[in-house]
Amino acid sequence: MSSNTSRREFLSTGLSAGLALPVLGAASVIDPQSAKAAVPAKLDYRTLGRTGLKVTTVGMGCMITSDPSVITRAADLGINYFDTARGYQRGNNERMVAAALGARRKDVIISTKSHAPNKEELQQHLETSLSELNTDYIDIWFLHGKGSPDEIADDMIEVQQKAKKEGKIRFTGVSTHNGQQKLLPWMAQKGVFDVVLTGYNFTMDASMDQAIETAAKAGLGVVAMKVMAGGTRRMKPDDPAYKKLTQPGAMLAALKWVIKKPNIATTIPSITDMDQLDENLKAMSNPLSAGEEKILSAHLDAIRPLYCRMCGQCDGACQKGLPVADVLRFLTYADGYGQFALGRERFLELSTAHQSVRCGDCAHCTVNCPHGVQVARRIARAQELFA
Amino acid sequence: MKSAAVLLAVLLAVGMARSQVSLDCHFAPGWEASGPARQYTAENLYDYKDGAADGYLSYGFARMSTIDCKSGADMLTIDVSEMNDADAAYGLFTANRDPRLPIAPIGMGGQIQSQSATFAKGIYYVEIAEVADNPNADHTAVMQAFASGMSARLQGRETAPEALQWFPKENLDSVRLVPESVLGLKLLKRGYVAKYKQGQAFVVQEASSESAAEVFKKLREHFDGAAPAQIANEAFQAKVPYLDGICVFRKGRFLAGYANLHDATQAVTLSAKLAARIP
Repeated sequence: MSSNTSRREFLSTGLSAGLALPVLGAASVIDPQSAKAAVPAKLDYRTLGRTGLKVTTVGMGCMITSDPSVITRAADLGINYFDTARGYQRGNNERMVAAALGARRKDVIISTKSHAPNKEELQQHLETSLSELNTDYIDIWFLHGKGSPDEIADDMIEVQQKAKKEGKIRFTGVSTHNGQQKLLPWMAQKGVFDVVLTGYNFTMDASMDQAIETAAKAGLGVVAMKVMAGGTRRMKPDDPAYKKLTQPGAMLAALKWVIKKPNIATTIPSITDMDQLDENLKAMSNPLSAGEEKILSAHLDAIRPLYCRMCGQCDGACQKGLPVADVLRFLTYADGYGQFALGRERFLELSTAHQSVRCGDCAHCTVNCPHGVQVARRIARAQELFA
Repeated sequence: MKSAAVLLAVLLAVGMARSQVSLDCHFAPGWEASGPARQYTAENLYDYKDGAADGYLSYGFARMSTIDCKSGADMLTIDVSEMNDADAAYGLFTANRDPRLPIAPIGMGGQIQSQSATFAKGIYYVEIAEVADNPNADHTAVMQAFASGMSARLQGRETAPEALQWFPKENLDSVRLVPESVLGLKLLKRGYVAKYKQGQAFVVQEASSESAAEVFKKLREHFDGAAPAQIANEAFQAKVPYLDGICVFRKGRFLAGYANLHDATQAVTLSAKLAARIP
């Protein structure tokens, strides 16, 4: 699919591909939170790449879970993949996960991550994670937040491999928020990793699908995070996208869109409370509907003219040499987050020549955003606001 | 036009007020900056903190200033998070503190360890973390110097939130601010949770008595089989999965109680004592 394919077509493609997915397993469970009528929930499983682990397509990101009871209940309801990290709440999150899952350790898959910048600290993080999680082994141990192969030193890989041989971890992985187009093919070729945890959602372009497919074909298990496209936590209520994403069912639709993708084995949406848990479980029971597809398309339509994805495709495109993505970001500080002073401060750090450019002086704009951002209009607003 | 000018002035004033955190590395001999200070907002905090950004955002994050410092081969980073209010700053501190270690008297509260320090003061939550080749090296003195120096530079409240004094101290493990869904229940939006050797207590403040009464009513309906209890304005007790013996009471605009006790009667007894401490 070319990057010019409309998001609506892309969504349709995703939907039809997803409908052909085999369901590898299913089970019914009872909702023990309520003393009312039992609520059946269907669980779907997929195989996590070469690990062979059977994971529920909806897992649980535990980072902002409010109470350990939510994690315990998720396990009771059948979710079997739980994600935490050494750095979350400076270790308190690993302790919460341990307290919540202690009695069920053998029934669940626990992944954690280390952002250690060097071999020595990485080794220490592993020992600390084992201790805090109160376990003899970690199922999947990620190098946390890597954006390019350059950030993954050989001695870090050695630490992972040694830990695997010693039985302290079962499988190795890398988590990534950016640079996937280069990182995932490199991981696929490298052959020393078992799992990749990557940001992935309905707002991303086709190059991400290609990177994920390359990884999956090489046997890497693919776990998706940021499936809600950042959710609404970073939005202000007057943000046009806020209303779209907060309408009933929008978040569930975003989750369903991801688990329809055959190369994604599981997802780790952050689950704060019992209500969110119940909502997310529905993603395994009902496929993405036409109505939900419309919700996502509408959301994309709403943010397309405003939302710079920082894809870099406009680099060097401005005939006046403006760093287009940077200026759009400065505008977002002011328009999106009320940080006018910061936006202006950044704008005034541009060269005098760039500050004096006025988009209205150009007969036509040479920047064509492949994602539909109205670049000239947005840049002109930044100039009006900051210059 | 006039209103736009006023708005611009207000925005600039807010921006200036929020620009007053000056960061450098001159808190201990031999330390200097390793590059310019950086700033992050809610929009791009992910660029720096990855997934951990959600933790900051959930507590009411406004902005972060950060700087890298070096002394020979030693490196450390200072992160100063500006939160929406002092309770949020203290709340983020409670989420990140090690409950097994004592609280140090820095600002509203802090913790100093061999290679890290955290504290909250006013609307600021500060983290100082060393990147060391030797993870076992003891740099407590450097951490203390940086934390004290940074604290002296920040303005704001130095007393912990009043609500913390309401929780009985006996058998108390730790207290933290839960930014949303206290006890895992969406109805209980934001409040303090005190963890005890057995069970946990909570206090949630609603905007008014009326809104508290409304939430109480919904909670009562949520727990089938709840029985009334005689505490403050209204109360109930129940035995439910995951929260075990629970008692919830309303006193004015506060919703509070105990959970995770073996039986609801015990929760009622402790809740009555807690109610007496809430003004």
